[in-house]
Amino acid sequence: MASITINNVWKYYGDTPAVKDLNLVCHDGEFVSILGPSGCGKSSTLRMLAGLEHISAGEVLFDETKVNDLPPKDRNLAMVFENYALYPHKTVYQNMANSLVIQKVDKATIDEKVKHAAELLELTPLLNRKPLELSGGQKQRTAIGRAIVREPALFLFDEPIAHLDAKLRAHMRSELKIMQRKLGTTMIYVTHDQLEALSMADRIAVMRDGVLQQMGTPKEIYNNPTNHWVAGFIGEPAMNFLDCNLGTVSGNTALEHSAFSIPLTSEQSQNLLGSGAEQSVTLGIRPDDVSISTNPSEKHSIEGEVLVTELLGGDMLVEAQIEGSRVTVKTDPSYEADMGDQCYLAFDSARWHLFDINTGSTLF
Amino acid sequence: MATLEVVRYASKTRTVINVLTTIFLGVFLVWTILPFFIMFVSSFKDLLDAFALPPTGDFRGVGVFFNFSPTFKHYIELFTERNFATYFMNSLVASSGSALVSVVLGAMAAYAMSRTDFRGKDHVFFWIISTRMAPVVAVMVPLYAIFRNLELVGTLPGLILAYTTFNLPFAIWILKGFFDNVPYAIEEAAMVDGRTRFGAFLDILPLAAPGIGAFIVLCILFSWNDFLFASIIGSGGAKTLPVATRELVTPTSIQWGKIMAAGVITSVPMTLLGLLIRRYLVTGLTMGAVKE
Ligand SMILES: Nc1ncnc2c1ncn2[C@@H]1O[C@H](COP(=O)(O)OP(=O)(O)OP(=O)(O)O)[C@@H](O)[C@H]1O
Ligand SMILES: [Mg+2]
Repeated sequence: MASITINNVWKYYGDTPAVKDLNLVCHDGEFVSILGPSGCGKSSTLRMLAGLEHISAGEVLFDETKVNDLPPKDRNLAMVFENYALYPHKTVYQNMANSLVIQKVDKATIDEKVKHAAELLELTPLLNRKPLELSGGQKQRTAIGRAIVREPALFLFDEPIAHLDAKLRAHMRSELKIMQRKLGTTMIYVTHDQLEALSMADRIAVMRDGVLQQMGTPKEIYNNPTNHWVAGFIGEPAMNFLDCNLGTVSGNTALEHSAFSIPLTSEQSQNLLGSGAEQSVTLGIRPDDVSISTNPSEKHSIEGEVLVTELLGGDMLVEAQIEGSRVTVKTDPSYEADMGDQCYLAFDSARWHLFDINTGSTLF
Repeated sequence: MATLEVVRYASKTRTVINVLTTIFLGVFLVWTILPFFIMFVSSFKDLLDAFALPPTGDFRGVGVFFNFSPTFKHYIELFTERNFATYFMNSLVASSGSALVSVVLGAMAAYAMSRTDFRGKDHVFFWIISTRMAPVVAVMVPLYAIFRNLELVGTLPGLILAYTTFNLPFAIWILKGFFDNVPYAIEEAAMVDGRTRFGAFLDILPLAAPGIGAFIVLCILFSWNDFLFASIIGSGGAKTLPVATRELVTPTSIQWGKIMAAGVITSVPMTLLGLLIRRYLVTGLTMGAVKE
């Protein structure tokens, strides 16, 4: 097992930086997910850890050892590639056994380990097939099998289940998590799917354009995003953003929008004091934290008009137009509304966020 | 899915084209097979029988051609009196030796050209191919001078080296295409699995095997059939079959029977090789062109 430390790492392809000044720590036995949109430098980071890509600047430590100049074979890790990279001329069995054959492990031990992994991944009937004769899901399980047979100190998984259908993906999510817990091997898991990261990882590193935005537990990232961008990237359906002004209503700081004016909690006003916030700010509120009603009340005071409703199994999404802005609301399917109906919204002011309109950083 | 079968519609023109095609193929077949056939049959004939031809225009007299008592004396004489066993071995060693050297060096060079990027790579690659652009005769004299100074003239290593100078660029050129088609991720997986860079290269060789096989055959064919290098660089100590055959033509006589027998001895091994790996050769040479 190993802990990973990434210190001020940069990756340049020619003159274009793909990873910028990355600092990241992954503890021994931890499941860390690197999450970000396509092209943000996730694979580049993983490949530098594997030793497949030159580290332009900075250093990578496994435990206390600097590994910058170690070739992949000496790093004691296993990688699952974005495109599986199975050996086309070898059977599933040989693919999984390869690393052990290279280490000159005796045949009986290899056989035992491969069979055990095959059982875990339900590959036993396929052991004699070649990759060409496998479905995408089977290939992917073979690639994972190849990684676990090796029993490395570190797993590096690069979007291993991105190509599977939704149902199999959901199944594999829990399987992979259980597997990692059982083996206790440190895992770095790259994905662009926030659901995968949120559901599997102990901690998530959110990246954008080669820059680490935030590192934290799924709860921290979901509840306390560091900036506007992370807030919008994490969460499905995405957070609502409304441009507002800070004003004063009967002595208290309040959030003013053409459709509403709501006072901040005293704690929130306290937080704003030292932040040097300007007049205009961006309000962010998740669809879960907005409630909707057909009738106005003291609570449901923001008037709007229903644009569209979307039934998602156990939940219903309502998109409402309030003066000048659109707001998505998550409610339960019993809510009846047609397009154009009047509706009244309420914001849960304990759970909203304010962002600096220029820098995007979180004010609270 | 579309099949490769061509859809045909019956029509007058179609019939005419079919007939013409058949005639053309018939003529073409005779044209290509007949020389080999005559060579083969004549190698078993005495001199007199070999020149027993029917008068021009008498097609019923063709039977004369087959009217002879077969003899193996030409073959026997070639091996007992004319050292053809040695020449056969020389041919074999020179062609397979050059093929081996070219494929080992060529595969490594092609792999490097395929996997690395360096300044001026395109120029280097073009330079490698361009060595094949000049006709062999053009470089023969300087090559001979160099080889003579190095005392390589008339030796098998010299001949192998000479063939390799021409086979190697070809090897690099063909094999690079094959390596380009092997995804790099497979070597990366091998390296993560515990291989060195060179070990990973060896690991993916099976994926380029059709190309390597096809190339070895082309290489052997080139050197086996070569006359120019063999007669100049190999003259003396490293005489090969084509040169030995040429020497059967002397100022005083042309030994037709032996020449025919030597022709058979020279062409049979290559024909067998061709038949043996025919399928391999075709898939090998086309696979390089197919993108995933
Ligand atoms: N070999 C390369 N040469 C030049 N630029 C590259 C190379 N590999 C990646 N890049 C660039 O570096 C950036 C990061 O690429 P990377 O593959 O790390 O992204 P990613 O986060 O893994 O994306 P995806 O989710 O699409 O796999 C991209 O802008 C990409 O265009
Ligand atoms: Mg990637």
